[in-house]
This record gives sequence, C-alpha cells and structure tokens, in this order.
Amino acid sequence: MFLPSMFFTLHAMQSTQHRWVFQTLPGWDSLLPVDSGQYSNSKVISSILFSGSAEEIVIPRKKTWYGIAVLQALASTVNRDPTASHYVFQDDSYLTPRTSAEFKLYSLAQESGRTAAKYFINTYPKYFQKDFANPHIPCLMPETLELQVNEVSEAALIERIQLRKVKAAVDMYDQLLQAGTPVSLDLTNDLLDLISLYGDCDPARGDAPEQRTEEMVSLTLTSNNNAERIFNMMPERNRRSYGALIRGMVKHGAYSKAFNTYTDLLNNRLTGDVHIFNALISAAPEVREKYVEKWDLIVDLLKQMAEQKVKPTLLTFNAVLKALRRCGSLGRTQAFPVINEMKALGIAPSLATYDHVLGIFYKAGKLIFNSFPYCKFDLLRCRSHLWWGDIEQAYRVHSLLGVGENWKLLGDSYYQSIYYGRFFNLLCMMEHIDVVLKWYKELIPSLYYPNSQGMRDLLQALDTDNRLDLIPQIWKDIKRMGHDNKTELVEEMLSLMARENQIPEVQQSFADCALDVKALYTQTDRRVPLSWSAGSLSSITSILLAAERTQQAWEMLKLFKLANRVPSYCFGDTRFSSDSSDMNLCCSSFSILR
Amino acid sequence: MYRRAILSVYQRRSALKPPRDPRLGPPAWTHLACVPVFRAAVQLSRRAFGSAGVQLCEKKEGAPAPVAEEVKNGGETTEELQTEPKKREGAASKTEKELKDKIENRSFQETAAVQTDNTVKAKAQSPDFRTESESDSDSDSDSDSDSDSEAVSRAGAKTEENKITESAEERKSTPASPEKAKDNEVGKKGLLELLGAMKVEVTTKRKLKAPKIQRSGQEAPPRPGEMESTTSMFQQATSEAASQSETLSPELVEAASAAASTLPDSTQAKSELLRQLRKHEAVSQEQRKGETHDIGNIIADMKVGRRLNGRPNARPANQIRFDEDGRGYTHDRGITSELDGVRRRKNPFLTKRLSIFPVGAEQEPDTDLAAGPTLWDADLASQIVQVVNQRPRNGFEEMIQWTREGKLWQYPINNEAGMEEETSVPFHEHVFLERHLENGFPQQGPIRHFMELVVTGLGKNPHLSVKQKLEHIAWFRDYFQQKQDVLNEAETY
Repeated sequence: MFLPSMFFTLHAMQSTQHRWVFQTLPGWDSLLPVDSGQYSNSKVISSILFSGSAEEIVIPRKKTWYGIAVLQALASTVNRDPTASHYVFQDDSYLTPRTSAEFKLYSLAQESGRTAAKYFINTYPKYFQKDFANPHIPCLMPETLELQVNEVSEAALIERIQLRKVKAAVDMYDQLLQAGTPVSLDLTNDLLDLISLYGDCDPARGDAPEQRTEEMVSLTLTSNNNAERIFNMMPERNRRSYGALIRGMVKHGAYSKAFNTYTDLLNNRLTGDVHIFNALISAAPEVREKYVEKWDLIVDLLKQMAEQKVKPTLLTFNAVLKALRRCGSLGRTQAFPVINEMKALGIAPSLATYDHVLGIFYKAGKLIFNSFPYCKFDLLRCRSHLWWGDIEQAYRVHSLLGVGENWKLLGDSYYQSIYYGRFFNLLCMMEHIDVVLKWYKELIPSLYYPNSQGMRDLLQALDTDNRLDLIPQIWKDIKRMGHDNKTELVEEMLSLMARENQIPEVQQSFADCALDVKALYTQTDRRVPLSWSAGSLSSITSILLAAERTQQAWEMLKLFKLANRVPSYCFGDTRFSSDSSDMNLCCSSFSILR
Repeated sequence: MYRRAILSVYQRRSALKPPRDPRLGPPAWTHLACVPVFRAAVQLSRRAFGSAGVQLCEKKEGAPAPVAEEVKNGGETTEELQTEPKKREGAASKTEKELKDKIENRSFQETAAVQTDNTVKAKAQSPDFRTESESDSDSDSDSDSDSDSEAVSRAGAKTEENKITESAEERKSTPASPEKAKDNEVGKKGLLELLGAMKVEVTTKRKLKAPKIQRSGQEAPPRPGEMESTTSMFQQATSEAASQSETLSPELVEAASAAASTLPDSTQAKSELLRQLRKHEAVSQEQRKGETHDIGNIIADMKVGRRLNGRPNARPANQIRFDEDGRGYTHDRGITSELDGVRRRKNPFLTKRLSIFPVGAEQEPDTDLAAGPTLWDADLASQIVQVVNQRPRNGFEEMIQWTREGKLWQYPINNEAGMEEETSVPFHEHVFLERHLENGFPQQGPIRHFMELVVTGLGKNPHLSVKQKLEHIAWFRDYFQQKQDVLNEAETY
C-alpha cells in the first residue's frame, strides 16, 4: 500500500505548493484581463450628468471568464526551456530521458504508475477512506461503482449498460431470457451498441496520452461473439440493431461481415441510416483490392444513400476522403469533386477533412497549402508531410505550431518525433550550418531526440559548411543520445575527422575524440560490442597521426593485426620517422598479409 | 546574326579591360582603327562572341544574377559557343589573341588597300570621330566604372563602330586613279556592303541599350515594381533608338554626298548611295517596327508584378529569358512555378462535383438522431478529445489539467469564488426581502417595524445565502406565532 498512498500525498503536496507559489507571484493580478465594464459605465453616466447632453449610453457586453482563465494567462507566460527535458520528467532528474526510447519508456512508466495507484485505490477502497481535502474532492477518493440493483430485472440490465459493464450486462441479458422475461427492443439495441462498441470485452480506461497507441490493438470480433449471438436470438430487428452490429463489425475489423450484414438488412426490406453508411464507406477500401474498385464501391454506397434518402453528414464525407487516401492517384482526381459535393450540400469541412485532403495530395508533392488560406491554422495536423523540401513552407508550418493551441494537434511522441525529424532533416539539407545549430540547440534535448540518421544529416551539414571543428561537441551529444553504438554513424564521423588536416587545436580535440571512440570499441561490457572495421581503424590512426600522437597511433596500428584488418592505405609514413624500424616491420608484415 | 554578333562585340569590349599590349602603342591603335575590313569585323565579332561568353560566364560566377542568359540568346550563338569551347579561357589571353588576329588581318588587308593608312589616321583624328566616340563612351559609362583604362579599349571599340563610315569615306577619298576603274567597282561594292553594316550598327546600338539597362535593372531579384520599370525601359530604349536614327540620317546623307563627291561620277554615285541608304532606312524602320512589336510581345508575355505564389522565388531563377528561336520567354521551372501552374490550371473549387446527392431537397429527417447522444457519439467525442490530449508543458498547464479533472480548486476569477450555489440567484432576491413579510406578520405595529429592520439587516448581509435569509425570516414568523398569546395580551400584535 506504499505506492498509492505516496501518490496520494504527492498530489496533495503539489497542489498546496502550487497554490502557495501562485499567491506569492508578484503582480499576478496584472495578468488578469480586467473587466473594465463598470468603470466605463460610470464614466459615461457621469459625463451625462455633468454635461447634461443626452448621449447614448453604451453598456459594454459582459465578459465571461472561465475558471481556468487565470491559469491560462499564467501558462501563456511560461516559455519552454530548451536545455531542459519535458516538464513531466522534471520531478525526477534520474529519469530524464536521453533517447526517444527512454522518453517512451519513462512516460509509459509514469502513466502505468498512475494506473496502478488507481487500481489499488479502487480495488481496496476501505484503506483509502481518509479524506485529506476540505472541501471534499471526489475524484481523489476511491470510485464507488457498486452495482445497486442485484436482482434479475430490466432495471439491472439498464444499470449495467449505463455503467458500461459489458460482461455483466450480457450475463444479465442471458439470465433475463432464461427467466423468460422479454427484453424490450430498445434495451436490446442498447446492449448491442455496448457490445459492438467495446468489442465484447470490458472497456479499458485508457485516457493517458502515451497509452493511446497501444490501446487500439485490433480487438477483432470473434466469430461467435455475444453481439451476433444476441442479434440472432432477437425476435425482431430494426435498423438500429443492424446499425449497431455493422458499426461494431467495422470498428473491430470484420469488414466483409459488415457488408454481409448490410445485404441482410436490405433483404429484410429495411434501409440503412447515415451511421451504417459511414461505417460501410470507411470499410470500403478494406474489401476491395484495386483503386478503381474501391472507388466504385464508395460511389455505389453513396448512390444507395441518395436512393434511400439518407442525408449525408460531415462524417460521411470524411469517411469518403479517408478512403480516398488509400486510392492512390485516383484519390487526387476525385478529392475535389467530393469537396465540391460537400460545398453544394452546405456541409462545412472539419479539421479531419483537411487532414484527409492533404493526405491525399502531399504524396504528389503538390502543395495545396495555399489553396486553403482561410483554414491554415487547422492544417497542423497534416504536420510535416507538407514540406517536401521547401524550407520556407517548413518555417511557415513550424510557426503555425506556435499559434494558440496548435501544438496540441501534433499528436503523441511518435508523431512528434516524425515532425521534428523531418523539420531537422530539412534544416540540415537547406540551411546554413549556423542556422542549423541554432535550431539544434533549440530542439534537441528538450523536444526532439534525433535518430542516428538525423545525426548523420547534421554531420553532413557540418561537412558541407566546413565546420568540422564542431564534431567533438556533436560526438558528446551522440554519446549522450545513445547513438554511439551505431557503427555507420561512428565510422562516418571518424572518416570526416580523418579526411583533412585541421589546425593543431582542432586536431588535438579530434584526437581526444578519436581516443574516446577507441575506448568505446574496446569496452567489453556492452551488449552489442562494436567491431573494428578497417575504415574505422585507419581513420582513428590517421587522426592520431595528424595530431602527432605517434605513440597512440602506433598502438592503433597494432590493433589492425589484433582485429585481423588490413589498412586500406598507407598513412603518411614520414611521421613515423622516429621509430621507422617498427614502421617498416609493420608495413612488411602487412605486405605479407596481403 | 550580325546584329547579335556585333552586339556581343560591344558587350565584350565595353566590359573587358584589355591589358595594354606594349607592342601596340598609340600607332598600333591607329592601325587597329584602320582595319576596316568587314570580313575581319565579322570574324572578330565571332571571336569576340566566344570571349564575350567567357566574360559573361565569369560574371555569372561572381554575381548571382545570371546576366549571361539574357544576352546569350540565339540558338546559333550557343552552338558557336559549343563549337569553340577552347575560347572559354581567360579574357585577357583572349584579347591578346584577338589583337594578334587583328594585326594579321591588317597585314592581309594592307596588300589590298595600302594607301588608306594615312587617310584613316587623319580621319581617326578628325573631330567628328572624337566627339562621337566620346559621346558613346559617355553613354556606356554607366555600365562601366573603370573609365581610364577602358577609354582606350573603348576607343578601339568605337573605331570599329565608326570605321564603317570611316572606311566608306576613306575609300572614296582614295585618289581614284583612272586605270583603276575596276577598283571603283570594288569600292562601290564595298561601300554598299559597308552601308549595310552601318545599318546593322544602328540597330545593334539600339539593341545594346536595352539589355544593358535590363541588366542593371535585374541585378536584384525581380520584384514587381522593378519588372515594370524594365518594360518602361524597353520603351525608353526604343524611343531613344528612333530619335537616334533620325539624327543619324542627315549625317548619313552628308557622309554619302561627301563620299560620292570623291568619286568621278559623283551625282550618280550619290544618288545610288542615297537610294541604298533609303532602302536600308526603310528596312531598318520596318525592322524597328517589327522589333518594337516583338518587344510588345515580350512585354505582353511577361508576368509583370504579380506575385504569384505570395512570396518571391527563393532563387533568382525568375529571370526572363527571351529566346528568339521561337520558344519565347521561358520561366524557370521550380517547384513554386509548378505550384503556380497547378493553381493556374484549375481552381479546385470550380471543378464539377459528384452530383450524387440532390441539393436542397428535404430529406427524411433522421429519427434516430433526435433520440439523443448514443454510446457511439460519446465514443466519437472521447476520440476527438484524446487527439488533443497532450501532456502539460509547464506547471500551470498541469494545474489547468488538474482543475479540469477536479483535483484542484478553481482559482478565483472574481469575488464570487466558492459561491457556486448562489450564482443562479439574482441580486434582488438578496436585497428586497420585504415581500416575505406579507404572510404571517402583522401589517403594522412594533413587530412589523422590528421585522422591517430585520429584513433591512438581512438585505445588507453578504454572508448569508438567500435560503438562509428566508430561514431566518421563517424562524421569526414561527417565533411570533408561538408567542401570539403573550403578544395579544400586551396588545402589540
């Protein structure tokens, strides 16, 4: 019971602490937008009183502030610290993530810790009855979701459905049927809805941002699931029963079954409703192979909608556009007719609509960003797909990210890393190295954990702009981010350092860096030890030679033999003049090897 | 081609800074000046063309504006450049070579026209020539900064420019020996050729102006305003050229008559010359018209001043290249121009629609939708919420999150914090409480008076809720009713 109680007290502590901080903040009331209505009102009135003229009294509209207005104002004053990691990791410096994998791991760990605490609190509510908060804070107390109605009745079924207890509801339904009590059609439909929505298992509470991706592991409806069983047992079925079943099937991946059920529906001389069609349209690309067939099926469904006088909604067209995303080039030709249909029907597009349209078009490299000037704030969801090697566009999109709440649309850490990865890649390709480094400092430790490809891009940018002297610094970052076991990256860095002779200071730092790399190679406690290649060995040797560290270079040369590698070229042999006899020996041995 | 060739000579010459060859002192210049041979000029111009290319290429390296592209305009010229790749060497060496060529030509020509030297020298020093070369150098000086060293070279250039007239005169001025009647024929023929060249020169001069100005105009990335000014420059150039040709023609007539007077059959020669001149004039006029028309076409073709993509091209690739060989001006293909193309091709919102659903037709209202939110709706809503559910970025955002979850009390945004149950109660319910005295209290008397005081006090009390105030009044009501007997006895009720 240690963990949950600790968690609990932590919350209490944090809340009190924050309150204290808040009160001691200087001038916090100046941040509050002042409602000046009263003041101006009295001014107007007094002016009338004193001047005697009959001016029109303009009473300003009352402003309504939400309860979190103060906090929002305060939050808008806080800037991101580019040197710090994400805020959620600031409590524990030991758990500061250095790589994207660690980021993922730690945030999942944090959330699973919370979930565990909740689980204990809810499982053993009797140990958590002490109410610290005054006034009472209900959400900090154990949830009391006890079933109130225990006898077999319709009321009990209703309660179980409302509490979303899928299994219990199904059990109750079976008991009711066994007892011979008829269950009303609406209630059965509700039950079907519940089962279909949650795929015949109890819903998991996954409201944590990091767990979202794992949550949607395909919960395919098994062939003999409760929904179909209950559906087949139903004495009479209406459109809603079919709808629940079809939507459930589509949601949980039984696409062809959904179409069969739809045929059933038509055979029973019923018509579909808009939800059924929406579900079927979104399932359409799954049941056909070719682009044209997919599109034909969608058009067919739309025509059936029109025949059955079903009015399409925004979700219908979003489903169509989403399906068109998977129709390749056909999508590009058909997307605008779909949008024009929406326009003609007076359906306003939503964020998802633009997302789909951009998703359809970005692959072609034709940016239609400019075609939608009026909704550009919505477009962030489309993220980095847009850029296509256009740095200006990238800057525009990135500046949009800073507007308002747009950052929230960036998605989870996976999408964020894609976004920042592309942004950084583009910067490395297009921008001057100084700009790249500026962004590097801005993004790298706090927002983005580049992969080894990103670091290689950076090295190439350094190479392009002839700032190789920064490599030792970058190497430290590479080590910190855990990319020091990526052979390709390390070897590329070494070859860059070895390629040219630098000024002595830089050469010395290169040599230190090379020795650092060498130490990495000789480490034995690594899981995947790095293996020497001829290239890396020769690079380190020539770096050391250029820094005139003959002795260490000599040791490197011995490693060639140890690792059974042959130097690909001869190092500037003049530098070995001090111990030329050894050199000759070595050279001769290699010539023998050859 | 000639025009272009000579144009390139000008360009090259005005831009080049030929090292002064020690071998070619001032007399050498006169030699040069006296090389009047048309063939040589053509040849020179061709060579010069190559070197002009070189020079322009050099320029291109340095300056971002690809000036070369706008000048290098003919397919032929490019061919020539390709066939003579060796010409792409240092400009200086080129000049030397060229000078050598000139000297060679000169020696070759000397056999034919030995006697010209002195006269030409005299002519070269004639005030007429001076002034003209000076004025020309003035007109060119805007593009060239280094005036001193170039003055010499330009003088060389000007000699070439003027040598046509010069040589015309010089040929006429040669004492026509009677036994050289054939020579006369040759001279006349050469004269006609030269006049033709002169015409050419007139037009090239004009053409020369335009690109030069254009070049200076296009140094910066083409912005709308500047491009417009370029068009006006075109017009300016043409008008200038027109006036120039008008002023030139009397000179020509004069020169022709002067030349003719030296010939034995002066009147016939003069009339022939003038006729030829008129013909050329007419042709050049026509061509000029044609050219202005051309320019008009160019201008019409130009996309002036419209910032198509909402931002200037990142590269200075927006240069207008005019290709006389038929393709017209070509726009550099970049992604932005492609985009413009996409945009121009069709407005996506004007394309046809699917036309599946009838517009405006009243369709059967969905009965299911009216039933209220279903589980599916709740699911959709929670999905949408989860999309924007991000982790907090700072402490305040975390507090916002906690406030929303109910873990944290709301921070006060006014002085009514913590009075949630009172928010729906209007102000007058708190203040005007006398209406609660209507029932259960006497209409007058001490109790009524007392209760009015109580109600006034309650109305001013900010700490009680309306419910509590009413309870308070109700308590007094009960109390006085319980004590009714005592009050009746005291006759106060």
